[in-house]
Amino acid sequence: MMKKVGLLIISLCFSHLGLAQKLVLKGSDTLGAKLVPMWAEAYQRVNHSIKFEIAAEGSTTGIAAIMNKTADIGMSSRPVQSTEISEALTKNVNFESTTVAYDAIAVVVNEANPVSNLNQAEVESIFTGDVVDWGEVNDEDGVISVYTRNTASGTFQDWKKMAMHKRDYALSSQKMAGNEQIVAEVAKNKMGIGYVGLAYVEALGLKILSIDGVLPNAESARAKTYPYARPLFFYTDGKPKGEIKKFIDFVLSAEGQKIVNEVGFIPIQ
Amino acid sequence: MLTASRRFRVWGWSGDDLIRLFFQGNALVAILVLGLITIFLFREGMGFFPQYQKELQLYRKSGLEFVEVMRQQVEAHKALSRLLFQVEKAERQNATPTVTSQQKIAFKNYLAQFRKIIVPLIDLEMEWEKVAVDLRDRYRVAQDKKERKEALLQSGKFQEEEQIRIETFDFQKNANFLKDTLPRYHQINRVISDEINRLINQAPHWTSSKANEQWDEFRESVTRYLSQMPHREKQLEEWNAFEPVPWIRALAGFLLGKEWITQSFWNDFYGILPLLTGSFLIASVALALAVPLGIGAAIYVSQIASKTEQKWIKPCIEFIATIPSVVLGFFGIVVLGEGIRWLTQQEFLSWVPFFPVHNRLNIFTAGCLLGFMAVPTIFTLAEDALNNVPRIFKEASFALGANSLQTILKIMVPAALSGIMAAVLLGFGRVIGETMVVLLVAGNRIAIPDFTQGLGVFFQPAHTMTGIIAQEMGEVVRGSLHYRALFMVGILLFLISLTVNYFAQSLVKRFKISIG
Repeated sequence: MMKKVGLLIISLCFSHLGLAQKLVLKGSDTLGAKLVPMWAEAYQRVNHSIKFEIAAEGSTTGIAAIMNKTADIGMSSRPVQSTEISEALTKNVNFESTTVAYDAIAVVVNEANPVSNLNQAEVESIFTGDVVDWGEVNDEDGVISVYTRNTASGTFQDWKKMAMHKRDYALSSQKMAGNEQIVAEVAKNKMGIGYVGLAYVEALGLKILSIDGVLPNAESARAKTYPYARPLFFYTDGKPKGEIKKFIDFVLSAEGQKIVNEVGFIPIQ
Repeated sequence: MLTASRRFRVWGWSGDDLIRLFFQGNALVAILVLGLITIFLFREGMGFFPQYQKELQLYRKSGLEFVEVMRQQVEAHKALSRLLFQVEKAERQNATPTVTSQQKIAFKNYLAQFRKIIVPLIDLEMEWEKVAVDLRDRYRVAQDKKERKEALLQSGKFQEEEQIRIETFDFQKNANFLKDTLPRYHQINRVISDEINRLINQAPHWTSSKANEQWDEFRESVTRYLSQMPHREKQLEEWNAFEPVPWIRALAGFLLGKEWITQSFWNDFYGILPLLTGSFLIASVALALAVPLGIGAAIYVSQIASKTEQKWIKPCIEFIATIPSVVLGFFGIVVLGEGIRWLTQQEFLSWVPFFPVHNRLNIFTAGCLLGFMAVPTIFTLAEDALNNVPRIFKEASFALGANSLQTILKIMVPAALSGIMAAVLLGFGRVIGETMVVLLVAGNRIAIPDFTQGLGVFFQPAHTMTGIIAQEMGEVVRGSLHYRALFMVGILLFLISLTVNYFAQSLVKRFKISIG
């Protein structure tokens, strides 16, 4: 009898551990499509028992997931808004942020497009729809196809703040599910323009625009000469504890930050 | 056998009873689930309107509505700039060769000057917008805090509760501030109209007839724009921050709203019209393809084809229904969309007004794929309808000396017509509810397509009702306005399907008369 109870307790303990050793990360596509899976893989090489569940559908989904308590870590490329913080408090959730890397958002066009530099005012007028024809910023005419991320994306919000004076996107903009999709469409559409995280610019048929003569890279982002640079965050409910903390510590360690560099983002140091 | 089953009894139930009960149970479960879904959908969705009304009330109270009048003017001015650009573009492309590059630069400068006129108003608008948006956000934070305070009170955490300070708001003061700065707006407006008149009088001489034509159009729009100024000013003077927003405004805002804007720093709007038009345009392309294909194939298989042909064609068409829609979606992006774009960019097709098409994700591509997906539905049902026409009809027709083509077109198809219509309607239901393909292929542009482009409208990107639910469901917080808005879209889809099914059913009912 005692033996049976003991077995039962042991198996219960294990099943409990089994649950605790799965980390659920939801949110940003910028982080979650490339960088976080690499981190998870490297982390698993040391800690075999940890399982990861990564869903990268946009920062807002990550923040909503922390609020709905359906994820351990919310990946986000934008800071939470004041209304989100207060809303979370009504659900007894306290956002705690950790900056895990930096990113610069690159403006990309098709390589067949003669434009190679824009100024910030031109970027704003293109994405807000004040300007709808390439002829207004260049010599060659053609209706501009604006590709943006969808509303769940943190980049979608960041871009409005950084490049558009918080104004809304042109109604004619097309909302793409991820960075890769924007890259694919712009690389195929001569009239296309879009923006992507620094880790996604290496693609055939794509041209990175300089903004006021400055190209996006780690140096220009650090020196703040490139205007569209931003931090990337992990959000947790309260201070990270246990396995979550161990993983975040790994991410912030020299080894974790080396991966940041390899993927194409900018390490925090 | 029959006696054996009678002997088998459990708690007084015979085997037959048990089997009947099992089937009865299955039917009951299906109906219960349908009921639960309906109830859930309406419970989550109907809360949208009161919440939206409250939101619009806050929009008014915080002064955002006031600022919107100015925003509209800024937008109108920018639309004029775009028109003026069209004049300049027409001039550049069609000008007589005598136009010097110096003149071209003058045209560009003229355009730039027109653009610059609006800058003071943009500055003023941004200043006021900041005040209004800030007030609204702070008010929302305070509302959340209030909610938390109450929750803490109820759970008896008095100390924590006391620490929460809630800001109080004086909306009247804000409204007064906005109204007090109105003279500045009037003055800016006077400068704007003076500047515009001055520029119009100094207009460059356009050499091409197309540019002149566009210039006349531009002049007309400018006159309209200037005549709206006093109207806007009056609107702002009469604006009252505390006038209640009627519930009908929320309803109209949803059903007739032309903008679906979410995650905006300015304000979220949930207007269904762009999604509705997108859905219907795609469905119309799909039906235009699927109806002739599906019905034609059905007529061939049921009336003309030999037995061996039937054996092959039917399973092949029905197999289409088993292809996963995500596979079709990928095919649509990579092969079909790309192919259409390649084709439209060919030199020999450049006479078509809206070619070349630059977006491979558009209404036409999505419609083609959906049409393909709807073919098996329409085919199977139409074939059934044709097969159900009594044989005597056919035989009587032949007996009167009609040939087989006459019999098919004059007798068989009319006799099966209500069944065929039902097939089309159900095919439409299939198309309007499909999600994956439109999400991948339609281009996800939330705007009412530009109908002035004629047939070109079908080559623009669009967004659909199903697509928006799939795309935005993950990001919404339960119970939020956005969440409820998506449920409302779901309800609308549900109602559309219900109506379509109702009509299909009543058509089938009428079909029975022709058999009898």
